[in-house]
Amino acid sequence: MAETLVKKFVVTRFDPDKDEAPRTESYEVPCHPDWKVLDALNHIKDEIDGSLAHRWSCRMSVCGSCGMNVNGQPTLTCKKAVSDLPDTVEVTPLANFPVVRDLVVELDGFMEKLKSVKPWIIRAKEKAVEEGPMRQSQAELEEFKQFSMCINCMLCYAACPVVANEPEFLGPAAIALGHRYSVDSRDEGAAERNEIFRGEGTVFACSYANECSEVCPKHVDPAAAVNQAKFNAVIDWAAGLVLPRGGKE
Amino acid sequence: MADAHPHAMAPTRPGKTRTAPPQRPPQFPMGGRYLAYTAFGWTGLIYLLLGFLVIEAVWALGDGAAAWQEQLLRYEHPVYIAFHVLALASVVFVGVRFFRLFPKAQPPRIGPAKPPPQSLIHGTLYAVWVGATVVFGAILAGGLF
Repeated sequence: MAETLVKKFVVTRFDPDKDEAPRTESYEVPCHPDWKVLDALNHIKDEIDGSLAHRWSCRMSVCGSCGMNVNGQPTLTCKKAVSDLPDTVEVTPLANFPVVRDLVVELDGFMEKLKSVKPWIIRAKEKAVEEGPMRQSQAELEEFKQFSMCINCMLCYAACPVVANEPEFLGPAAIALGHRYSVDSRDEGAAERNEIFRGEGTVFACSYANECSEVCPKHVDPAAAVNQAKFNAVIDWAAGLVLPRGGKE
Repeated sequence: MADAHPHAMAPTRPGKTRTAPPQRPPQFPMGGRYLAYTAFGWTGLIYLLLGFLVIEAVWALGDGAAAWQEQLLRYEHPVYIAFHVLALASVVFVGVRFFRLFPKAQPPRIGPAKPPPQSLIHGTLYAVWVGATVVFGAILAGGLF
């Protein structure tokens, strides 16, 4: 039987009913060598302190629920092996988000931003069912496929230094998911989204730290999406200046 | 960890539960990969100072040949030389950073046209940069014009 590794987990705790501010608590956890950080957190909750609050669901890097800062790095805790970490592991809630309790952050702000970029297919006129499906070539699919792999884990927001300073900034995932539809051949809403991208939460707030792409567990490359969205927003704005009726058909 | 903006990622209408304020990424601004990002921000100050130097040089040119010669002598001061080395390093740093971003910032298509492969964009950017440096170097050395 494999030897267990005893690791010290320093975990942020915050009870909105009792605590004025977040504090830390330490736990000695006997970890199996093949455990992930999430297994250790579940062990703490099941065996040591049942009051610990943390989000998780699929345990296979698909649902995006278990994002936390592990030793300062935004990480999916179901993906990070404890054996890759030093003897002391610091687990804190995702940076740049208000904290609801312990390791659970407030996601409503993101949901508002996501909704504002209209992440769905917009059609000027819906195609009737009798007209058959909307066909899309493999090349057209490749144009947006990468951006559709986002699992809304929020690691990109936790890594972005602009999000920390500018509350209006739409942020990496919301822009990537809006851009995903703008470059979809079935969509006709790019002009609407370009206006949003130039608006209050402007994509131009991004100063290309590239941290979002560095931490993305699904290799979505949100920095590419944000900067492509900037390019499209400028082309769209310039076309509006020189084309008749602002380029609107 | 330092506090982020108090409204960072907060919903428009606060929820019923009291929340703890958002914190900045713990390694910001000088730790890990953030160091390059912070250095990128600081290069703005160097360009500002460089702008003042350009204005000063134009001013000296306007004051006649003697003032311009005096200005050229001032450029030989070690502080000026050190600053120009720093400015050159800043330009190279920002150039490389921008060249890394530019290829992937291209939209999948502009109208019916598709951008060329990223490697070609990358290569062209560096080729233009080297070419422009050679041409300007030749002009400054008196080899051209």
